[in-house]
Amino acid sequence: MIGKRIVGVVTVKDGWAVQSFGYNRYLPLGRPEVLVENLDRWGADEILLQCIDRSAAGLGPDMALLDRIGRRGLSTPMIYAGGVRHDQDAVDVVNAAADRVAVDALLRDDLDAIARAGARLGNQAMIASVPLTVDGWFDYRTRQVGGVPSAILDALASGILSETLAIDAVHEGTPGSFNDELFRALPGTFPLIAFGGISEPAQIRSLLTNPRVVAVCVGNFLSYRENAVNLLKEAVPGVPVRPAAYHATRYG
Amino acid sequence: MIRRTIGIVDYGVGNHASVRQTLYSIGYRCRVSGDRDVLADADLLVLPGVGAFGAAMEKIHALNLAGFLCDQARSGQPMIGLCLGMQLLADGSLEHGYHAGLGLIPGEVMPLEQARWHIGWNTIEVIGGDPMLQGADRKSMYFNHSYYFQAAPEFTVCMARIEQPFTVGVRRRNIVGLQFHPEKSQDAGRDLLQNVVEGLCA
Repeated sequence: MIGKRIVGVVTVKDGWAVQSFGYNRYLPLGRPEVLVENLDRWGADEILLQCIDRSAAGLGPDMALLDRIGRRGLSTPMIYAGGVRHDQDAVDVVNAAADRVAVDALLRDDLDAIARAGARLGNQAMIASVPLTVDGWFDYRTRQVGGVPSAILDALASGILSETLAIDAVHEGTPGSFNDELFRALPGTFPLIAFGGISEPAQIRSLLTNPRVVAVCVGNFLSYRENAVNLLKEAVPGVPVRPAAYHATRYG
Repeated sequence: MIRRTIGIVDYGVGNHASVRQTLYSIGYRCRVSGDRDVLADADLLVLPGVGAFGAAMEKIHALNLAGFLCDQARSGQPMIGLCLGMQLLADGSLEHGYHAGLGLIPGEVMPLEQARWHIGWNTIEVIGGDPMLQGADRKSMYFNHSYYFQAAPEFTVCMARIEQPFTVGVRRRNIVGLQFHPEKSQDAGRDLLQNVVEGLCA
């Protein structure tokens, strides 16, 4: 049986990994590739690398960072998000280092480009990233909030994207505060990944027993303790996640 | 360990870096190339791949690699197909319309019937006790696909389950295909990859 996933998140702004608080306030953590490597070594089921300033600045994906990560040879699957403008960007991101691509601005701007990317990469590689507040879908470029249009919900249900990252944009960075009422903005049966203010075992257990939730993303809370992913897994017995996998140190 | 040379087939689709780094970390010499002479000199070929079947076969034909890969496989050069690379070993695929494959292992690539996607970590079951695969029995591997290789039972060497079992590993003599990503399956995948390389090259 396929396991549900605990995804480690590295948030990047201005080229540095940061601790984010509701996408409003940031504290520097260090070099993103080092944090990614730590999550790889500490047994995360998947890694989400999100470069949050790329789309707003029109910079495109951070290919230099992806190249540095690619050279390190991750043994953990990685999702990349940030600055993907068209299908070729998505293909380039996968060719560089990522296994899957999450899109946010492109979801608003060009659904056809997402379909083209899916045709080239396989739809399983495409993920929708949807920041939410209690008032609806948060557009981080304009800082406005509105409903999720039916065309977007139809696209999510159609399967041109495999999973939807439901982000609690307000509580992101606040321990134990994810608001699962936000799922109401995403009606349907398409699979969800929950992110934003997720840190506590009881909360993870509750979210992962929701049939629609296939994964939870945990951000800063994993960066301060070695093997935090494995410790979280051990704290949620009975939840269908891959058993804790401690990295074997190898020499030579 | 004998320092083997692995030829990683570069046909412009997918992330070769992870496959190369994993094999290199085990101790293999790696050549990432679309050049037939370079690949022909390798002890073993790895056909990686992330993407859609039709686009991948188009690239392979554009680089004149289809006939070469078939000739090398039939001449006995060990070959491993990973994820999409495994599916390319089949006769054909129904992904985004019908596309012919390399036809090295009989079977067709079909949409998963039990679920729209098979994404994440799942345990594999080794069928038939192949020694080079047996160590991975009941180990979790990372999957990311929505189509699967519907192979005849005599070529099926690994299964996984959503509700019902389905093929995730195939073998025909010197050719092995794995639907999952051993290079992205941490220590379990790395150990399996090493065992398959050594088993095929023995």
